[in-house]
Amino acid sequence: MASKKIHAIYTDDDLLMQAVKQTRAANYHISEVFTPFPVHGLDHAVGLAPTRIAITSFLYGLTGLSVAVLMLNYIMIEDWPQNIGGKPSFTFYQNMPAFIPVMFELTVFFAAHLMVITFYMRSKLWPFKKAENPDLRTTDDHFLMEVDAENHDVEKLTKFLYDTGASEISLIENEQDH
Amino acid sequence: MSSHYEAPIREPLVLGEKSYHDISVDVGAPVLGKANKSWWIVFTIALIAFLWGLGCIIYTVSTGIGVWGLNKTIGWAWDITNFVWWVGIGHAGTLISAVLLLFRQKWRMAVNRSAEAMTIFAVVQAGLFPIIHMGRPWLAYWVLPIPNQFGSLWVNFNSPLLWDVFAISTYLSVSLVFWWTGLLPDFAMIRDRTTSPFQKKIYGILSFGWSGRVKDWQRFEEVSLVLAGLATPLVLSVHTIVSFDFATSVVPGWHSTIYPPYFVAGAIFSGFAMVQTLLIIMRKVSNLEAYITILHIEYMNKVILLTGGIVTTAYIIEYFIAWYSGVPYENYAYLSFGAATGPYWWAFWALIICNLIVPLTLWVKKLRRNIVWTFIVALIINIGMWFERFDIIVIDLSKDRLTSSWTMFQPTFVDIGTFMGTIGFFFVLFLLYARTFPVIAQAEVKTILKSSGESFKKLRAVHGDDHSHVQTVEPYPADAGPSANVEDKNFDSSFNDLDEETENNQVDYEANRGKIDNLLSGIGTFDPATQTQDDLKKISGVGPVMEQKLHQLGIFTFEQVSRMTDREYDLLDEIISEFPGRAKRDDWAGQALILKNKN
Amino acid sequence: MYTLPSKLKLFSIIIMVLGLAGITYGFLTAPKTIEDVKEIMAEQDAHHGGEHAVEAHGEEEHTANFVDVARGEEGYSEAAMEHATDLKPEGHGSASHEEHVLHQLQTRPWSATFVAAFFFLMIALGVLVFYAIQYASQAGWSPVLYRIMEGITTYLLPGSIIVFLIVVFAGTHFFPWQNEELVAGDKILQGKSGYLNFPFFVIRAVIYLLGWNLYRHFSRKNSLAQADANNYDPYRKNFKLSVFFLIFFIVTEATMSWDWFMSMTPHWYSTLFPWYVFASMFVSAITVIALVTIYLKSRGLIPFVSDKHLHDLAKYMFAFSIFWTYLWFSQFMLIWYANIPEEVTYFIIRIQEYKLLFFGMLILNFVFPILVLMNSDYKRVPWFVVIAAVFILVGHYVDIFLLVMPSTVGHNWYFGIPEIAALLFFMGLFIFVVGTGLGKVSLRPKNDPFIKESENYHF
Repeated sequence: MASKKIHAIYTDDDLLMQAVKQTRAANYHISEVFTPFPVHGLDHAVGLAPTRIAITSFLYGLTGLSVAVLMLNYIMIEDWPQNIGGKPSFTFYQNMPAFIPVMFELTVFFAAHLMVITFYMRSKLWPFKKAENPDLRTTDDHFLMEVDAENHDVEKLTKFLYDTGASEISLIENEQDH
Repeated sequence: MSSHYEAPIREPLVLGEKSYHDISVDVGAPVLGKANKSWWIVFTIALIAFLWGLGCIIYTVSTGIGVWGLNKTIGWAWDITNFVWWVGIGHAGTLISAVLLLFRQKWRMAVNRSAEAMTIFAVVQAGLFPIIHMGRPWLAYWVLPIPNQFGSLWVNFNSPLLWDVFAISTYLSVSLVFWWTGLLPDFAMIRDRTTSPFQKKIYGILSFGWSGRVKDWQRFEEVSLVLAGLATPLVLSVHTIVSFDFATSVVPGWHSTIYPPYFVAGAIFSGFAMVQTLLIIMRKVSNLEAYITILHIEYMNKVILLTGGIVTTAYIIEYFIAWYSGVPYENYAYLSFGAATGPYWWAFWALIICNLIVPLTLWVKKLRRNIVWTFIVALIINIGMWFERFDIIVIDLSKDRLTSSWTMFQPTFVDIGTFMGTIGFFFVLFLLYARTFPVIAQAEVKTILKSSGESFKKLRAVHGDDHSHVQTVEPYPADAGPSANVEDKNFDSSFNDLDEETENNQVDYEANRGKIDNLLSGIGTFDPATQTQDDLKKISGVGPVMEQKLHQLGIFTFEQVSRMTDREYDLLDEIISEFPGRAKRDDWAGQALILKNKN
Repeated sequence: MYTLPSKLKLFSIIIMVLGLAGITYGFLTAPKTIEDVKEIMAEQDAHHGGEHAVEAHGEEEHTANFVDVARGEEGYSEAAMEHATDLKPEGHGSASHEEHVLHQLQTRPWSATFVAAFFFLMIALGVLVFYAIQYASQAGWSPVLYRIMEGITTYLLPGSIIVFLIVVFAGTHFFPWQNEELVAGDKILQGKSGYLNFPFFVIRAVIYLLGWNLYRHFSRKNSLAQADANNYDPYRKNFKLSVFFLIFFIVTEATMSWDWFMSMTPHWYSTLFPWYVFASMFVSAITVIALVTIYLKSRGLIPFVSDKHLHDLAKYMFAFSIFWTYLWFSQFMLIWYANIPEEVTYFIIRIQEYKLLFFGMLILNFVFPILVLMNSDYKRVPWFVVIAAVFILVGHYVDIFLLVMPSTVGHNWYFGIPEIAALLFFMGLFIFVVGTGLGKVSLRPKNDPFIKESENYHF
């Protein structure tokens, strides 16, 4: 798919924030921003929806807790109840004080690992994945804003971006969508 | 922007005039450079200790646990002491990375990476001991609740030792994932800065293709926060469960309800001592004194004071309640008059002196900020906390309820060798880490640079809190490797490089003659005979390249710049077309006026 | 500047009067003699009918069996119960049983008053500790709340005096070790008499209360001085003072909880106990800070406090609710697991006689706060925080109730006029004192070195 994008490079986070706000106010569409570190409030300024990854973590945690309860109940109460140190093994709740630690650990185990895996999958991060930042300096001290130029006058847009404080601007044409 | 505001009373966390780029360079340097001699010396010593320990482990496994000094009364001694000691050391890393994140402590940024690395390496050492203790380590998987060939026989979930299996494995794996996620942007930085294709490939794989998209960062921050929220109770639970190994029993001295929080505080206490030990050396060797400052060391000493104070209170409570309970067996518990005067008096006093008395010196601010003394105290605390576990285990067991079984424990060379081996292994891992990993979370340090960096704090002190924090960066090409950038802060030494660059940036003097004259007519000319030139780079927005261009135009002083108005700005933009509008946006005239009056 | 609205003032005075009347009623109607007790018991039997008594007995039998089964020992739990309660005046015959009941019934108004008195004192004390921690840790987010915290700690002085009077005059109602006859026949108590004796007990109480109140006095003075100062000297003084107060507190809090609570059952001991009491104190205190903040904010008096500050307070409520549960579980599980007779009695009486409260408290103090405050957006919604706060405060009142009642009145407890009256009286006093205390100065701590950071902070 052919597309026209403009890459504007900024050298400061405050400048970038200001530029993002101005660009959005001027009704240009920012398709992506690459930054070397998390810029506070940038996601909001770009207009991203809040992430729901914390909610998934909560659900994974509940899953972990359920797995723990089912496992403990099956192993310790149903399948082979034993008198161990006189701990009551007739029902789950009577034996529960001894089960709390494992229930807690499995809750955390599931919540943490599955959330991180979700994050890696959603953000497409895994070994041998090719990096996609268009400019190497965006992991160092440069900030790159990618603006859609498809339906805009490139000259005007370029001028506009210069005015927002960009230090370099390049036009990317026919770039393949990832 | 006032969003970078921080109370001026706070000391800076990043020293010197650092830019974002400088942070990348400084953090990348140990990885991209070559190891020095002292690294190799220390590494060799650690490797020898590790190999010696490995020999002892092989000897233990092939001969049997009988080669250890355990006896019938003291069935747990050296190995569990080391296990608890190592697990405890691990706690500081999670505390720094998780708890201090929740408390929004900015100073954690510079130390969390190494502290977490230390956590992981320490927990690896800890995990070795129960596995060796099994006698047949290849059957270690039997601790997992898996259906097996012996019929419906499961592991015992009533046993705190099994809780430990779950706690330690969750802790190790979650710490590892937390650490690695934080490493991704930093690996990516190294990937993008290295010139060696081999390193590029390796760090490309390690960085999982991190690109730094705004959505990725949003998720990254949320994931970090949730992981911190999970890791905080997790780290409490780990040493709590370790303490349950002892406290659920009815052994006098072990059965004490204060054990869970007391063990956690002790673990953090010893862990911070180990962090100090490692970081005081690392900041020196890796030239990171600007990032791991005296202030960081003082903060960590304060955490040591706090956790040490909690541990001291717990000792007092234990001692008091042992008396208050009226139970005669408590007279021989590890914190009692009996222990202080009994055959293990030396272990008792080692604990008291190392854990209670020596750390008291840190109440003195001068000593707290003294690096050598901090290092000594940290080593002493490490020893003291080892003795704490030794005392709890060996002294309590040596005098149990039956006087006929009272006995002493004598470690064998295998016991000692294995312990030394784990210390060697720990340092081998840490030294390798220090050479190959970005040892400071540079992306996170960059986020606090504007609020806590020394230069920005000065900027606010001089120009007020609302002054622009915009940093100017000398343009450098995208494909320039570190060799082109490493020294660029020091312009004298890289003057030659700069000349090449300025050739391309030469102002076309002849073509703009009229405009330049016009410009100078507005702001006045410079007469080298009567005037001295100013350092125009002090103006925010003017870098060395821009300064040279201004010089070519005949602009040398603040006075000239301060006379610029809209007309001159426009002229300047026409002559130097690269940065339209910048001079006006940064208000060079206003800045120059202030600078002129200061001179 | 805040002034206690006259309606609220009137309300607090009314509930104080009502409460005082109720407390007096409780003391006056407590049985005086064994004859009264017999009458009461007979009346109870007549009221509820024999069936109920049998049922209650059967219930007890059942739980007793539960413990016996767990322990594999016939009649164990009954023996344990005996042990738990035989610290009260001696004897096992039926006459002495009535004597025993008489003692417990006479203790009830004392206990009811003490529970409420200590509950509100510990809120003020917990706030004071939180305040000291903010200074000692040079916190950047909380200085906007300093005046609010200082307002709440105004209650410390009147609260201390009342609690001091109660613990000193309660005598053997609370502290069996003050009964010389009992000590004379009890070797273990004799061994403890070096610590558990009346003069030392009073001296200790004076030392704690004096120390806490002195810190409150001087920290407030410095804090107010900072507002008019042109350097940071008062702030620096407060920093040092706070560190020393915290050291003093961590020790005195432990002895305080031994003196006033643990020694109610002088044979029983738990090393974690002081920190458990502290957790309850701390979470209740933070909750009250949040409530007062929400109240003042709703009246538009503190525009410099934003929802971010509320968010942080709610996080603390959330975190310390979990912390409290952690300590509760650690103490409970270890004693449950080891099952040593002289230790388990503490939980046996609480589970057998106070089952609903004992487990209900866990839901109020752990489950509800977790569910309500888990979501980060809800922490900024005032009414959500208020709901969680009500759960937490009720839950921790129950916690203090369970510290005191089972140890002093045993199974002769009831939530009636004395308890409600005491709660009303101290709530009225608390509102009155705190409301007046908040009103004396501007609510914005001017000139604090971190005030601008606190107002601007973001995360």
